[in-house]
Amino acid sequence: MIRSPMTSRRDFLLDTTRGVGSVALAAMLADDGVLRTSAADAVPAGLSHLAPRAKSVIWMFMVGGTSHMETFDPKPALTKYAGVSIDKTPFSDTLKNPFVDENVRIVVPDDANGHIWPKVYPLQVGYRKRGESGIEISDWWPHLGEHVDDIAVIRSMWTTDNNHGAQLQFHTGRHSLDGFFPTVGSWIHYGLGSLNDDLPQFVVMGTPIADCCGGQGAHGANYLGPEHNGVQLDVNPARPLPFATPGGALYREEQKGQFELLDRLNRLTAKEHPDDAALRARIKSYQLAYRMQMAVPEVMQFSSETKAVQSAFGLDNGVTRTFGQQCLAARRMVERGVRFVQIFHGSNGGAGRWDGHSNLQKGHARLCQETDQPIAALISDLKTRGLLDETLVVWGTEFGRTPGAQNSNGRDHHPYGFSVWLAGGGLKGGIAHGATDELGFHAVENRHYITDVHATVMQQLGLDAKRLEIPGRKRLEIDYGRPIDAIVA
Amino acid sequence: MLILVTGSTSPAEDSGYDQVKSILKAHCFRCHGVRKQEVDLRLDSGPAILRGSGDGPVVKPGDANNSRLLDRITSRDKSERMPPEGAALTKTEISTILAWIQSGATFPKNDQPESNPADHWAFRSPKRSAIPIHGTNPRVNNPIDAFLAAGHQRSGLQRVPQADPTTLFRRVTLDLTGLPPTPRELKAYLADDRPDRWSRTVDRLLQSPRYGERWGRHWMDVWRYSDWYGYQKQLRNSSRHIWRWRDWIIESLNGDLPYDMMIQQMLAADELPDATAESLRATGFLARNFYLFNRNTWLDLTIEHTGKAFLGLTINCARCHDHMYDPVAQRDYYRFRAIFEPHKIRTDTIDGHTNADQLGLSLAYDAEPKTKTYLFERGNDKRPDKEHPLTASIPSFLPGAPLRVEPVALSPLVYYPGLRPSVREGLRESARQLVTDRQRAVDSLATAAGSANDGIASDSLRVAQKELAAAKVEWDSLNARIDADSARYFGQDEDAAKSAASLAAARDRQARVITAEAAVLRAELVLATAKSTKDKKKLSAATKSLESARKSLASASAEAANTSSNYRPLTKIFPSTSTGRRLALARWITSTDNPLTSRVCVNHVWMRHFGSPLVPSVFDLGNNGRRSRLPELLDWLAVELVERGWDLEHLHRLILTSSAYRMSSNPSLAPAHTRNADPDNLWLWRMNTRRLESELVRDSVLFVCGHLDDRMGGAELAAGLGETTARRSLYYRHAPEKMMVFLDLFDAASTHECYRRDETVVPQQALALVNSRLAIEQSRRLARRLDRTVGADDTVATSQAFLDTAFLRILGRSPRSEERRVCLEFLNQQARLLSRPDGLTRFGKGLKVAIPPAKRPHLRARENLLLVLLNHNEFLTIR
Repeated sequence: MIRSPMTSRRDFLLDTTRGVGSVALAAMLADDGVLRTSAADAVPAGLSHLAPRAKSVIWMFMVGGTSHMETFDPKPALTKYAGVSIDKTPFSDTLKNPFVDENVRIVVPDDANGHIWPKVYPLQVGYRKRGESGIEISDWWPHLGEHVDDIAVIRSMWTTDNNHGAQLQFHTGRHSLDGFFPTVGSWIHYGLGSLNDDLPQFVVMGTPIADCCGGQGAHGANYLGPEHNGVQLDVNPARPLPFATPGGALYREEQKGQFELLDRLNRLTAKEHPDDAALRARIKSYQLAYRMQMAVPEVMQFSSETKAVQSAFGLDNGVTRTFGQQCLAARRMVERGVRFVQIFHGSNGGAGRWDGHSNLQKGHARLCQETDQPIAALISDLKTRGLLDETLVVWGTEFGRTPGAQNSNGRDHHPYGFSVWLAGGGLKGGIAHGATDELGFHAVENRHYITDVHATVMQQLGLDAKRLEIPGRKRLEIDYGRPIDAIVA
Repeated sequence: MLILVTGSTSPAEDSGYDQVKSILKAHCFRCHGVRKQEVDLRLDSGPAILRGSGDGPVVKPGDANNSRLLDRITSRDKSERMPPEGAALTKTEISTILAWIQSGATFPKNDQPESNPADHWAFRSPKRSAIPIHGTNPRVNNPIDAFLAAGHQRSGLQRVPQADPTTLFRRVTLDLTGLPPTPRELKAYLADDRPDRWSRTVDRLLQSPRYGERWGRHWMDVWRYSDWYGYQKQLRNSSRHIWRWRDWIIESLNGDLPYDMMIQQMLAADELPDATAESLRATGFLARNFYLFNRNTWLDLTIEHTGKAFLGLTINCARCHDHMYDPVAQRDYYRFRAIFEPHKIRTDTIDGHTNADQLGLSLAYDAEPKTKTYLFERGNDKRPDKEHPLTASIPSFLPGAPLRVEPVALSPLVYYPGLRPSVREGLRESARQLVTDRQRAVDSLATAAGSANDGIASDSLRVAQKELAAAKVEWDSLNARIDADSARYFGQDEDAAKSAASLAAARDRQARVITAEAAVLRAELVLATAKSTKDKKKLSAATKSLESARKSLASASAEAANTSSNYRPLTKIFPSTSTGRRLALARWITSTDNPLTSRVCVNHVWMRHFGSPLVPSVFDLGNNGRRSRLPELLDWLAVELVERGWDLEHLHRLILTSSAYRMSSNPSLAPAHTRNADPDNLWLWRMNTRRLESELVRDSVLFVCGHLDDRMGGAELAAGLGETTARRSLYYRHAPEKMMVFLDLFDAASTHECYRRDETVVPQQALALVNSRLAIEQSRRLARRLDRTVGADDTVATSQAFLDTAFLRILGRSPRSEERRVCLEFLNQQARLLSRPDGLTRFGKGLKVAIPPAKRPHLRARENLLLVLLNHNEFLTIR
């Protein structure tokens, strides 16, 4: 049989790590709930660095750049001074702020990028105070608004790429000109062990970022090695991952026979090579593969979810179905112990659908509609199941959009100030932290570079980013970020 | 920071000096140690600390409050605080130093200052040590064995015996060709009873073209091969047609081009006197670093990987500040950069007429010889030190002559692509084709005009005749220009060259006139047709093109009277001189007294035969790298490599014919004390067990199933074709985010850098080998083949024969009796299972597989078994 003959997992690992230059075992160790602090041939150091407050992360990323002013950062001044050039408003200092130059590394200056748009563009949506906290959220988020007391909005984010390489940057912490680096999910995968042997621990859903803007690099592990890459899963029980099933003609019983034969043959070989750790790891990896093959499609199979749940996630509505399915699959995964689920929304093979250079009102209203109900359902469902305390939900985007108008009805890229929010996982709810200036131009109060979000997430998971070091790989101060303590409960 | 000093303490036995020294080493040695002595202060030994700086003592034993050292590390004033860069010392570190000073600042008598990093072993020239003598031990038949045996003796280890011939034959065949042996080859080897069968096998495999593919892929890892990469059609990274460099690597290895020549051609093929269109492909090593968005990144990568790949030196660490470990000053980094500053990448035409994006050769050339190189303060490209432009040089601490840069007059073949045979032939062919096409047009129009007899038809004929005449004179002109080029660039006779040039110029002028006349006629005809259709847009376009045709004709006619001997070159002509900086570097790297180059090479080759390198940090032989475990052996081989003319095949032969290479990999054959004393096999008392690299997994599946397409070379194939086509894996696209998923899962080389492959074992690999179209189709294909060779009937005897053949083909050995029993049992069980399909559950939708399973249950069971063998640990392992 596939399972029975093995000794316990812990014994197996202890056994196989003895006296081995254990590069071959890196992956096995990584998913053993054992924390690792250095390169593959070092022995795992023990448990988490800090007391963990959360176990899993659901990381939602809006591709293209969501306007902060139309979502989580109300700026009535925009409406008041609509059509006025910024230098003619009482806030003309904005343009003289040194951040205008310091904050940004322009990648490809052209007609579309690297410009300040002076003519103030009015707010495209109304706001109202929500929940007990009274935090204002735009009217495009009616469902999420009901959960405002569960989320911590950060209104003072900044990044340095004014083009969509910022998508990659949001995940690696490095400007795209610096190249590719491990992403936040891969660091967590690397640093923390597995909570479930049958599922990949770093999962990616939704169409990944296009090649223009980081491509697979936005969920890659780079120098941490391919075993820490995010594993792309489709919400499709028939083919949720590459090589998930052998296709229609084969019978399950037939393949089970093959796995069993292989197990027997490899065990016979193991008798000849009792000290071969890689061989024993391979025997184990086939057992895992066999189980994964069953477990992964099961996660994507929603028939065990009640009609009410399915409907809450918006599965019965064409507008919300796709993202709703991904959110529901994400919940099912964290329920089963997956560490990091990264969901992309708005990919379109290019810069992304949130990239509202024109028709911002129509575009953003639709995109919010696609995501609002599923996100709200996710938060409330996690809460009902008691999972929100141990699950961090992160909502982010690569940058905000300009206070000034681009074309007649759009906003340009804006790295100087934008918003993200986090929920659950031991963070405060009903809090708005940091601020942009009156026009929503610069992050001015409690400024946070994007890796501060990484650091916060890692801290809640019990990881100290600074202790995740790979010899020979220099990391910069900016790579680590600093936890945003003000939002920690 | 407030420091409380609580009375003086009496000096203890352990003064805490060791801790203090390691703190100072981490924070202070860089500027106050052996490499630099800022303010005349050294902090790398007890006496030096007490001596203090140029301004007097910095430590007052027993009185921390009056010790300047403490003031400086605790200062709140940023301009005062030490260290000036990086983080301040932690509270714990500060209190450790404080306590040490308070307790009297004592240190051991024999305390030594930091040693000079330039004295590092790898920076001194390798020397042959005497080969240790080892009695009459028959195993010691090669210097490698002698050095290893000496190491074993010193460490009290006992090596294992040789592996069995079958294992050895599979090992060496995979090592040199990347493919397992065929049953026939194995049989022949085992039947060979001559004493030199091993060395003849090694020779035969080294002569196989597969050797170039196998080792080509290894060197592609080290040299950072990546196909071009971009967004849609825009090239962003690496260069188009970089596969020509890949083919050059394979051909060079198969042609036994010495390693020093390979380096010289990769860095400076264009500057070498005997450059050819073939050798220019080698500069793909440089072209690979092209980066659209940032020239500094481009050059940084060039510097970093030239240093790591050839020298095992992390020069890149000195970009923002002096190197932390090696005596490479920040200025040295930029001087090294100056070597590459003038070079850029261009794409030459291959045949003279196809768009070079589609068919071309990307190569390095010095495009900007005058560009100055500046040091960037703290590595910040916004802060170049323009006061002090830097000249090209290499770090001075290494032995050997300094860089000798002399401008190079390039071979005309290099700067004028029109001289290359393929370009001339391509242009000739297209000119010839033009004549043929136009002749055909004239013929068909003549037939039409003869029968129709209308005005337009005869006008068309007239134009076509003129165009034919133009094509003919263009053909003449081309040939005259080719002749003139030959006389001018390759001939000896100046007068002959002059007359050839003036003839070519005359033909050229004539051709231009007739071509222009034909163009005018054609434009007139188009205008006439446009007039008859009354289409305004067409009319205005036709008018415009007639105007421009007339202008061209006017200028061509005006020039017709000219008597100069200038003619149109066949292609663009690039600068004919080069700075010679890259060539100087290449010669310095490959000079016989460079202490690093040969060691780095030996280390890479050794690692790929033994599964572990002699120096574990393969790209860093510097002070921060790791020491060689067998320094005498490394050096002996390094000297041998150089003295034998950098002959890689000689190095392979030396390693492969050693007894060490033929050791068993099974540790249980060694006594317990050896296993316990050196469990990681650091002293090589046995062979290491290795997993097949990603390419070998895929290629071997195809090969043992009899389906590998062994054609060599050519443009990279789309990664998506990897499961449905059967070329060797190194011919498929290998670029960031554009790699075969199958290969990636088995730890394919990262395109960013890969000096050493990972060997992971993850469940996704299992899924790839169980569920991929590749594995399933190939196992079925092999099953069909075996049905024909061993028979398709369902008898025990046939099943036995099937098992024998299958094991031999896939695992390279016969099944052991227990395996045979288990497999026969499986075949029966599985056939029984499959004969009652009603109770079985299909996987349902999913993969599309081109070859359906066999209909008869017992044959389908055989397919199942073959797939299992393709997943067998021993198939994936080199023992």
